[in-house]
Amino acid sequence: MKHLIFLWLLVLLPCQFAGAHHVLGRPTYSLNEDSNTPPSMQVETQIGAYFVSYMAFPAFPKPNEAGRVSVYATRLDDGTPFEGEITFSVRDDGWLDNWHPSRKEVLGVQRPNDNTHRQGFIFKEEGDYIITAEFEAGGEPYLIDFPLRIGEPLSVGPLGIAVGVIAAILIGVNLVQKKRLPRAEKRSGRAGA
Amino acid sequence: MIYCSADGSFIMTHPGLPESWGLAILALMLLTLVWAVRAPLAASGMGRPVLRLPLIGNRVWAAGPGIRLALKLVTVSLFLLVIAAGLFGTPIPERNLASVLTWNLWWSGLVFSIFFLGSAWCAVCPWDALAQWLVRRKIGVRAEPNNSLNLRVPRGLRGVWPAMGLLVGLTWLELGLGITLDPYATALLALLIVVLATASLAVFRRKAFCRYFCPVGRTVGAYSQLAAVELRPIDADLCARCETLDCHHGNAIVEPCPTGLVMGRLQQNTYCTSCGNCAQSCPHGNIAWRLRPPGIEAEQGARPQWDEAVFMLALLALTALHGLSMMPFWEDWMRDLARVIGDSGRLPWSFSLGLLACLAAVAGVYALMAAATRRLTPSRLPFKRYLATFAFAALPLAFAYHMAHNLNHLVRESAGVSRVVQNPLGTSALPFSMAEKQIRHMNMLTWQDTIFALQAGLLVLGFLVAVRIVRQRGAALLEAERAGQGWRLFPMLLFAAGMSGFNLWLLMQPMLMRL
Repeated sequence: MKHLIFLWLLVLLPCQFAGAHHVLGRPTYSLNEDSNTPPSMQVETQIGAYFVSYMAFPAFPKPNEAGRVSVYATRLDDGTPFEGEITFSVRDDGWLDNWHPSRKEVLGVQRPNDNTHRQGFIFKEEGDYIITAEFEAGGEPYLIDFPLRIGEPLSVGPLGIAVGVIAAILIGVNLVQKKRLPRAEKRSGRAGA
Repeated sequence: MIYCSADGSFIMTHPGLPESWGLAILALMLLTLVWAVRAPLAASGMGRPVLRLPLIGNRVWAAGPGIRLALKLVTVSLFLLVIAAGLFGTPIPERNLASVLTWNLWWSGLVFSIFFLGSAWCAVCPWDALAQWLVRRKIGVRAEPNNSLNLRVPRGLRGVWPAMGLLVGLTWLELGLGITLDPYATALLALLIVVLATASLAVFRRKAFCRYFCPVGRTVGAYSQLAAVELRPIDADLCARCETLDCHHGNAIVEPCPTGLVMGRLQQNTYCTSCGNCAQSCPHGNIAWRLRPPGIEAEQGARPQWDEAVFMLALLALTALHGLSMMPFWEDWMRDLARVIGDSGRLPWSFSLGLLACLAAVAGVYALMAAATRRLTPSRLPFKRYLATFAFAALPLAFAYHMAHNLNHLVRESAGVSRVVQNPLGTSALPFSMAEKQIRHMNMLTWQDTIFALQAGLLVLGFLVAVRIVRQRGAALLEAERAGQGWRLFPMLLFAAGMSGFNLWLLMQPMLMRL
């Protein structure tokens, strides 16, 4: 076994210097902090024959604040921008909605302006939502979901619940023990007598 | 590094292990396999004295609660900061301390600490520390047990089944629901575990949460069978003559062993939480940390248990799933599956099916190989015993791949953490731009070749230890019947080689950057 380990080391050591560097390229398209855009949340994804960039302005919109989502879709093979219509819709993104998606509400149908499909919105209520962009190309339907958070997430809620549950457990256990301990003492007293 | 795939899309990925490494490892695995099959099995080493390396002492752990308390205060402070950052900080994961500290540093680094420090993390765990302070309301000295109902854990919940269920759930949240990218959900999970730990301590005897329920604690416990350190008696004879068993019962000042262990009979690290109560309470000062050859416990000392065997196999499957789900092609698989079953949103059903398939595949192949091994050996021992015994071989395979995979997260994704420490809530921070992502990607904590060498070394070591375990355990199993040759264990050796090969293939693929 020792010889085998020695052999392993002998073969492995030279391999350390054989690793090649893989610099495979840089993105040619990116709407980032260098763009003349306000702070935004940007997501990039690939679906079917398209590469899709999605941006939400502002990054974390608040209730009753105007915002917009922009979608820029280009073909993977030749980079041609998608020129058809995109339907934007919204649904809740709660815990249970992961399993049984809630009802969708259509925000609007948009044609491209400067190769970008833009959809404005105003949400009245805080919460987590899923924006869906739907379009058809080459006879195939495309459907892309993006998360969108409106307002600050609830913060005192879970903290309050955790503190409440722990307090309830501790108080409950103390109450039970207050009844149990005298009984146990009586039993041990009787056993002693 | 930006990876420009053939179809023209841009995805941030870490490069995989180069082919030269892969081929070298494969060749060596093949050599080892041939040796393991041809070499005769040595007589079981169960009775041999274990190589004991010099004691590294018990000063820190036995000296008193001061140092442990100080360490707990540090971890609890960081934990509370994580909760505050998660609940009140920015939802941008790479800018929030909750996600960076929890998933990039702690969750990735914990597995490395196990090799060097065993289950030391459990000794300073903030979940247990908070629960202890809330329920027992004493710091550093033994508390009256009156604040707890001290009930026995129901028979059905004893064993590591609850912890395994929670570990699968945690994996689902981590990889399926993407909790690693959600600081708020990370904070919620942290709070939930504190509530569970507190409830368990208030209701059950000793520390049932650490012993039966904690998915992290049980993972640490399983892996710590391969740790290079152990907390054990210095003189076993002294323990054999001991009548007070202070290590188990505690004394007037020191709490009893939280998981009900007796040091004189301790054979494995699995349920030791390294709390040091035994070292502190032993009237003879007979408990100390010591170094040992890693793997010796899984090879010889640990007793095969059915539930622990299933847990070890689950660990192997879940670590492989971690790697698999960070491959660029995994998303395509999930999308294709979602199209077939009509899944939408975050594709929870598709991921659940993928997770179940991964668990079932590993368990199925393992059971098949265990059955084949039994057929090759002239044994009348029950099949379940084969299943439980050889599962120890899954442990080094899972542990080695887990560390090799986490090296990528730790070394390639941890640069720039100081910025998050300076602004833990990420106030006014914006998401990483592509340029920032690239800069972070290029600023690794060490050279790329060093990462490759470490990953390859880990895989090799994992496979070697697995082979040793199969041979040692096989020899012990066959001793009662008829000591056979190595070839009788060929199916189990093939299982170890197959899983190592699969893990190697995963490491050779480009891996998606987490944050």
